Amino acid sequence: MSGFANEVSSSPLSFWSYFMDHRSADLQLLWSHTWLSVVPVVLGLVIALPLGWLSNRFSWSYPPIMTVSGLLYTIPSIALFVLIPPLLHLDQLSELQVPIALTVYSVALLVRVVADGLGSVSEDTRQAATAIGFTPLARLLKVDLPIAVPVITAGLRVAVVSNVSIVAIAGTIGFQNLGNLFTTGYQLSSGTSPYYPPIVLGLVLCVILALALDALVILAGRGLTPWRRAARG
Amino acid sequence: MIKRTISIVAVAGLGLGLAACGKDSSKTGTGSGSASGSAAAGTIASKLIMGGPAEFQTRADGLPGLKKNYGVAFGKYTVTDTGGPVTIGALKNGQVDAADIFTTDPSIKANNFVVLTDPKHNFAAQNIVPLVSKSKATPGVQAVLNAISASLSTAALRDLVTQAVTDKKDPDAVAKSFLSAHPVNMSGKASGASLTVGSANFPENVVLAEIYAEALKSAGAKVSTKLNIGSREKYFPALKSGSINVFPEYNGAVLSYLQQGATEASTAAVDTALAKALPSSIVALKPAEAQDSDAIVVTKATADKYKLVSIADLAKKG
Amino acid sequence: MATGGPRMIGNVITWLNDPSHWRGTGTTDGIVTQLERHISYVGIALLIAMLIAVPLGLLIGHTGRGGSAVSLANAIRSIPSIGLLILLVVIISPHFHGRTQAGFIIPTEIVLMLLAVPPILAGTYAGVENVDPAVRDAAYGMGMKGGQVLLKVELPNSLPLVISGVRSAALQLIATATIASFVPLGGLGRFIYDGLAQRDFPQMIGGGVLVALLALLVDLLLAAIQRILVSPGVSGRFSKRADRRRGAAGEADSRVAAVDEAGVTV
Repeated sequence: MSGFANEVSSSPLSFWSYFMDHRSADLQLLWSHTWLSVVPVVLGLVIALPLGWLSNRFSWSYPPIMTVSGLLYTIPSIALFVLIPPLLHLDQLSELQVPIALTVYSVALLVRVVADGLGSVSEDTRQAATAIGFTPLARLLKVDLPIAVPVITAGLRVAVVSNVSIVAIAGTIGFQNLGNLFTTGYQLSSGTSPYYPPIVLGLVLCVILALALDALVILAGRGLTPWRRAARG
Repeated sequence: MIKRTISIVAVAGLGLGLAACGKDSSKTGTGSGSASGSAAAGTIASKLIMGGPAEFQTRADGLPGLKKNYGVAFGKYTVTDTGGPVTIGALKNGQVDAADIFTTDPSIKANNFVVLTDPKHNFAAQNIVPLVSKSKATPGVQAVLNAISASLSTAALRDLVTQAVTDKKDPDAVAKSFLSAHPVNMSGKASGASLTVGSANFPENVVLAEIYAEALKSAGAKVSTKLNIGSREKYFPALKSGSINVFPEYNGAVLSYLQQGATEASTAAVDTALAKALPSSIVALKPAEAQDSDAIVVTKATADKYKLVSIADLAKKG
Repeated sequence: MATGGPRMIGNVITWLNDPSHWRGTGTTDGIVTQLERHISYVGIALLIAMLIAVPLGLLIGHTGRGGSAVSLANAIRSIPSIGLLILLVVIISPHFHGRTQAGFIIPTEIVLMLLAVPPILAGTYAGVENVDPAVRDAAYGMGMKGGQVLLKVELPNSLPLVISGVRSAALQLIATATIASFVPLGGLGRFIYDGLAQRDFPQMIGGGVLVALLALLVDLLLAAIQRILVSPGVSGRFSKRADRRRGAAGEADSRVAAVDEAGVTV
């Protein structure tokens, strides 16, 4: 780390030189922020798929599942982070509490998306598939799910982008991610003279990360629905 | 108007569900009227808003201690943060009149804040003390950390904080310059040890942890760091369980964390009580002379207006 | 910390049941005051967000430039709330002196408002876009002008999705307004942060429970408003579709999130 610069600039625009001065530490924060934003969404989708299917298939299960998932989403993230260790008998510093909390949020968001995505398959399409001889499972995998992909993709985009933001909140209570840059900048601002570089750097990296992950989800969604492109082209 | 309606509906709804079997603890004397109605009325403190961390409201040397030792009861308490930017900003800008700020904070000098004296020792000693996992506290490790404590005076500590906060130097750079000014010549003394050094999430503590880590490294130990961990309620369990092995702590603060209501104030009394209170997996080494204690701090204007020098002055009629 | 399940629940109920916690003490504010603050932070932000996002969504939906709504909503969503809050506090708060908390309230409101814009924008846009083209054509056929079609046909028809967007925005704001307590403001977040700092877990969980209850109540309230505001003709069309799959209980408004997201569809 340099530390040679005789004067440190507090200007918002010097976030780049701040980054270069602390490159390895910042990249490490970026990396942990990335996996904390991605893994829970993937896990959340894996859990939400059967739940969403269940609530779409059996209409009696729709209201309770949606009410519970809606309620889960209203738990403030700070409270959830802190509550998870005692509930699951984890160490207070366990790195697991943040991904677990984020997985809970992702499930809460995606269950509804999966259910409604599956619900968006028209009755005619289902009957046609059944008539051609698809078994219920084959129809689910080869007809219903592919048709639901656009709706699920839209939900995944929201989930992954919101996760980037929630991870940053975990950074303010001591987990290593881009959120640390915010608290670092805040503490060095000392109430009187603002110290912008780390705060602005954190914002810039978070936005870039969110938009990059968003673009990845879009690409994946397009890859899974080639017929939509064909219809457009 | 809609807002108002919603708020009434919500309050009513929430109240209804809970009021049914209410148990009134206000009868035991903590209810609303007590602070404004009792002896405190008319004092200087009763006109002031105090700012500080949430736990200051319940800590033995916080509001309860001020009341007991000095008869000081503030008109209102606003939760800011633990001596950080929020507290300093609120005091400077007048959202609060008095604040709980740490004595090494460079903003005290920068803003001409006045630190009220504490003649009755409401605030306990807060010497820097290395806490170490017992299983890792080899003689070599102890020697290295004791050597650092020996060269750490309050003035030196204040200088470290100023470098980190005012000059925005990186904590590891501050640590290195401290060690080159106060070398710990013990190469090889701690070899074979493998330790994780932790810190809380404020600059002074991070710098101290970096100093420990650097010194232990140069003495041959294998060191990893876990810096910027949130508050004591988060890192102390980790220290207890051994996922962190070395931590720069403040003796009075740990004691009151371990023994809510502890009233020991002097360095010696605190150390004796701390040795007893610590879990068996942790030892406290010799504390440094350096202290960073809580203090009631007011702006120059407030101090002049009410002629404040000591905390006791706050209890005078104003 | 003893966190045995049933005992903890008992402690939380005891905390919530203590009238002194509702009234507050002389020096600290109680639940009633903090609840009012929480609601006012959320209410103001939601109102401003609606004033911005509904017209914008209508316009985008009406002109069919969906792509811009999508990218706008997502760009806003990608700004981390806590980082923006800290940045704005650092910029704004030094300019306010004296007893006022404006230096902290303004940043908080901006952050919450920005959080509420994407779902409302997406809901409104999707609502307009989902209007049956036949209905729109019929309106033009009757001789209505663009503006009339927008206000008299597209707006009433898209209302269920607009309100769905508002509902999901409200839920998000109620949960997120807790970060106001990261800077020295009140609101229900105060109990969560203070409970953490004082190692008073019943207080912390109690605060979380209050947030969830508030969200539940506000959602019910908005559902009722939705029922009053949406023309029976419009809601009838919706519930028929829902009825087929979910039985009479499945209301149109159970589609909140899906609609919000549908607005963001590629």
